[in-house]
Amino acid sequence: MTALYTLTDLSKKYTRGKETLTIFEELNMTIDQGDFISIMGPSGSGKTTLLNLLGGIDRPSSGAVDCEGVRVDKLSEGKLAKWRSAHVGFIFQFYNLMPMLSAAQNVELPLLLTSLSSKERKKRVETALDIVGILDRKGHRPAQLSGGQQQRVGIARAVVADPKVLLCDEPTGDLDRATADEVLETLQLLNRELNKTIVMVTHDPAAAGYASRQLHLDKGRFVEREAV
Amino acid sequence: MFSQTLAVTMINLRSIPQRWALSLATIFSIALVVAVLLGFLAMANGFRATLSSTGSDDVAVMLRGGSQAELNSGLSRDDQRIVAEAPGIARDAAGEPIVSGELYVIVDGIKRSSRTEANLPLRGVGPLAATLRADYQIVEGRAFEPGSNELVVGQSVQREFSGFDLGQVIRLGTNEWVVVGVFSTGGSVFESEIWADIGTIQNLYQRGTAIQSIRARMTSADAIEGLEAFIENEPRLNLDVTNEAEYYADQAGGTSDLIMFLGWPLAIAMAIGALAGAWNTMYSSVDTRMKEIATLRAIGFAGSSAAIGTMVESMILAVIGGLVGAVAVFLIFDGISASTLGGGFTQVVFSFAVTADAIINGIVLALIIGFAGSIFPAIRAARIPLLAVHRA
Amino acid sequence: MNDLTIIRKNLFRKKLRAILLTLSIMIAFLIYGALGAFYNVWTAGVDMAAANRLITVNRINFTVDMPIAYFSRIQSVEGIENVSHANWFGGYYQEPRNFIQTFAISPEAYLESYPELVIPPEQRADFIADRTCLLVGVDLAAQYGWEVGDRIPLNSNIWQQDDGTSDWDFNICALFDGDEEEIPANYAMFHYEYYNESLAFNRDRIGWMVVNTTDPDLNDQVARDIDALFANSSAETETTTEAAFSRAFLEQVGNIAMILLSVIGAAFATILMIVGTTMVMAINERTQEIAVMKTLGFPAPRIFRMVLSESILLSFVGGLLGLGLATLIVEGASSALAGFLPGLSMPMDVVLTAFGLMLGLGLLTGLGPALSAQRLSIIEAFNKH
Repeated sequence: MTALYTLTDLSKKYTRGKETLTIFEELNMTIDQGDFISIMGPSGSGKTTLLNLLGGIDRPSSGAVDCEGVRVDKLSEGKLAKWRSAHVGFIFQFYNLMPMLSAAQNVELPLLLTSLSSKERKKRVETALDIVGILDRKGHRPAQLSGGQQQRVGIARAVVADPKVLLCDEPTGDLDRATADEVLETLQLLNRELNKTIVMVTHDPAAAGYASRQLHLDKGRFVEREAV
Repeated sequence: MFSQTLAVTMINLRSIPQRWALSLATIFSIALVVAVLLGFLAMANGFRATLSSTGSDDVAVMLRGGSQAELNSGLSRDDQRIVAEAPGIARDAAGEPIVSGELYVIVDGIKRSSRTEANLPLRGVGPLAATLRADYQIVEGRAFEPGSNELVVGQSVQREFSGFDLGQVIRLGTNEWVVVGVFSTGGSVFESEIWADIGTIQNLYQRGTAIQSIRARMTSADAIEGLEAFIENEPRLNLDVTNEAEYYADQAGGTSDLIMFLGWPLAIAMAIGALAGAWNTMYSSVDTRMKEIATLRAIGFAGSSAAIGTMVESMILAVIGGLVGAVAVFLIFDGISASTLGGGFTQVVFSFAVTADAIINGIVLALIIGFAGSIFPAIRAARIPLLAVHRA
Repeated sequence: MNDLTIIRKNLFRKKLRAILLTLSIMIAFLIYGALGAFYNVWTAGVDMAAANRLITVNRINFTVDMPIAYFSRIQSVEGIENVSHANWFGGYYQEPRNFIQTFAISPEAYLESYPELVIPPEQRADFIADRTCLLVGVDLAAQYGWEVGDRIPLNSNIWQQDDGTSDWDFNICALFDGDEEEIPANYAMFHYEYYNESLAFNRDRIGWMVVNTTDPDLNDQVARDIDALFANSSAETETTTEAAFSRAFLEQVGNIAMILLSVIGAAFATILMIVGTTMVMAINERTQEIAVMKTLGFPAPRIFRMVLSESILLSFVGGLLGLGLATLIVEGASSALAGFLPGLSMPMDVVLTAFGLMLGLGLLTGLGPALSAQRLSIIEAFNKH
C-alpha cells in the first residue's frame, strides 16, 4: 500500500481572547491509497478540524500535511484552491447544493475549474449522475429532490472531477436509516470499484461499519480499531 | 384584536435594528422623493406667491389694445389725459385723479448667482406711482428728485443683482445714474424693479412723450367696469383694461404650472423607485421574523394582525422618511431667493416657499409609498404557515 | 453552463426582489435619460453656436434697438466676413395665444450668417426675391399645417402699420430646416424692408446684428472694434460670441442645470442606497454557498468577479430598460413638442454617460459585497451554520 496522506506532528490550536483551545497536538497518521476510513468521536474531539486540514480549507498551527509529496499546509490560497479542485471531493451533511442550479448543473460546478469542453463536461456529469443512480433527476433543482437524492447529487459533484480522495462530513447525518444505507453503499462502491480513498466523519456506528478502518478520536488522540 | 395588532407591531418595530441598513435606505429614499417634490412645489408656490401678492383689485392697468404685456404696449400722454377724466377714478386730497402714466426700459443687471447679465425693468414713474402701490415705502435712502438722474431700486433687485448699493453710480447705456434709495412693496413683483423719473427716462432713451401703461386707482374694484365702458365709447382710445391683481395673477399661471408639471411626474417616478426599496425592506422584515410570526399564530394570534403589523412598520418608516425630507427641504430651501424671467420679459425675484399644503402633499406621498410597499409583504406575513415554527 | 449562468441564476433567484431592483434602477435611468435629452435641447443654442459668430446688441439691453445706420458702419470693421441684422416682430397667428417667433431680417445676409439653415435653392431664390415672403421653419409649418404657396396674415402685438392695423399679409414661399436635428426650425423670418416701410412708428431701427468673423481667433478683436466704433454714441453696443449670448439668456431663466442635476442626483442616491443595501443582504444570505464554491476550489478572485458581475449585470439590465424607455418617450414626445422644444431626441453623449453610470452603479453597489465574498473564510462560514 502506498501512503496518500502523511500527517506529521500535527497540532491545531484556536485562541479565543486570552484562552487557547487545543484541538489536537502532535498528531501523526498516514492514510493509504484506497483506504475507507471512518472517524468517530464526541463533539469537539477535532474530527471536522482534521477533515478540514486534509481538505486544505484550514491550516494547522504546526506540523505537516503531506499529500503525495505536496505540503498542503504550505500552499498559498490560490494554489490551495487549485489543489482542492483537482485532488479532493467534499461531501457535506446538509449537501450544500446551489438552490438555483439543477442537479446536473450542481455536478458540473467543479468542472468549470477545468479546461474541459462543454461537451466533455456534459458527458462526465452524466456518468457521475449515473454512478450514483440519479441520472433521471438531472434537470431537477435541489428543492425538488429528497434528502437522499440531494446527497447523491452531492456525491456526484464530489467525484465528477475524478479526485483521489473524498472527504465526507456526516454524509448521512440528515438521512433516515434506509436512505443512509443506500448512500453508504454508494460510497463503498466508489471505494471498491473506483479506488477512491474516503475519509468519513460520522456519529453513527452503523455508518462507521461501512469503512475498512475505523478510528476514534478523543481529546485529540486516536484510539484505533480495525474493521471486522 | 387591537392588542394583538399592537403586540405584533411592537415586535416588528423592535426588530428594525436587525435591518437597520435596509430600513435606513428606505427612510432616505422616501425622504429624497419627498424632498424633490417639495423642492419643486416650494419653487412654484414661491413664484406664485410673489405674483399673486402683486397688484390691487381697485387699480386698473391700461395697455394698448392687443399688446398683452406692458413691454409691447405704446401709449401717449393724450391717452392718459383722456383717461384721467373717466368716471370712477379716485382722487387724492388735492382733488387730482390718481392716474400714473409709466414706461420701462429693460436694462442689464448682473445676476449674483451666475455673474451673467439679466433683464431688469427701469421704470419711469411720476409722483403718483408710489400711491398706486400698496405698502410702498423707502426703506433706505430717499426718493429720487423729479427731473434728476437719480433712481431707487427694489429690495429684491439689491438682493439678487450686484452693483445697486446705495450711493453707487451706475451706467445704463451712455447715461450715468445714482442710486439714492431702496424701496419695498411688501414682497411683490415691484421690488424686482428700478424706478426713476419718467421725464428723465423719456429724454435719455429717446422715447419722446410716449408711455407704455396707465394705472388708475378706482373708487372701488367694481368701478373698473365703468372705466371699461367709458373707454369702449371713446373713439380716441384703443386700450385694454385689466384689474391689476388679475394682470399679475395671469402671469403667475404659466411658470408655476410648468414647475408643478415637472415636479409631480418626477416625484411620482422617483416614488415608484423608492417603492421598490420599501417593498424589499418589508419582505426582508417578514422573512427574518418568519418564526416569530408563526409562533404567535400558533398561540392564537390572527393572520391579519401579522399583516397589519407589517403595514404599520412600513408606514412608520415612510412617515419618518417623509418628515426627514420635509424638514430638510424646509431648512435648506424655505426663503431662499431666486429669480427667473417673468411675464414682462424681466427678472422676477421670488423666495422659495415651503407651505403647509405642500408638506401635507409630501407626507401623503410618503404614506402612499409606505402603504403600497407593504401590501404584498403583509399578505405574505398573514399566510406564513404554522409549521414555520419548526424552521431553523 | 458557465460563470454567466451562475451569475444570472444568482441574480434572479428571488424573482420579485430582482424585478423590484430592476424597476428602481430603470426609473433612475428613465429620469436621467429624459432630463438629459431635455437639457440637451435646452442648451442647444449654446452647443450649436458657431465659433465665429458674434451678436451685437444695444449696450443697455438686447431688447433695446439701434439705428439702421449701424449696419453699414459696422461693415468697415476688419476681420468681418458677413453681417446681418434682425428685429423681433412679436408675431401671432389669428389668436394671441398662437404665438409665433418671427424675425424681420436682412434676407440674403442673414441666411449667410446661418449656413446651417437648409433651404431648397429655388425656394431660397424666391424668398430673396419676394418682399412679402415668409420663410417658415419646417417644425412651425408642420404645427400649423402650412405649405409653400399658402397666404397667411401674421399679427404683431408690438408693431402697427401706418394705417393703424397690426396684421401683415405673407406669402409662404420657402421652408427651412436645420442641417442637424438640434437646430431649431420652429420660427419664421421675413424681409426687414417689408416690415420697416409699413411701420407706424420706430422706423429705421434694428434689434441686433449677427457678425461672422473671418476667424474665431479674431472674435475678441472684432468685438472690441465694433463696440469702440459706437462708443459715446446715443446707442452704445455690446458684442459677445453667440455662445456667450445664448448662455446668458438661459441663465435668465434660472440655473436649470443645477435643478436637473439635483433631481438626477436624488434619483441616483436613492437607487444607490436601495441596491447597495440589498446587494449586501443578498450576498450575506449566500455566505454558506460562497464557502462551498471556495471549498470546491473556486479561486477567491473568480468569486470576486462573479459577485461584482452580478451587480453590474443588474445595473445594466435596469439601466438599459430605463434608457430605452426614456428614448421611446423622448422620440414619442419630440413631434408633439416640436414647437416648444425643437429637435428633442436622445443625444449620444447622454447615452454614453448613461453607460458610464450603469458601470459606476454596478461597481459601487457590488464592490463591498464582492470584497466580503472574496475575503470570506470557509471555516468561519461553516462554523456559523
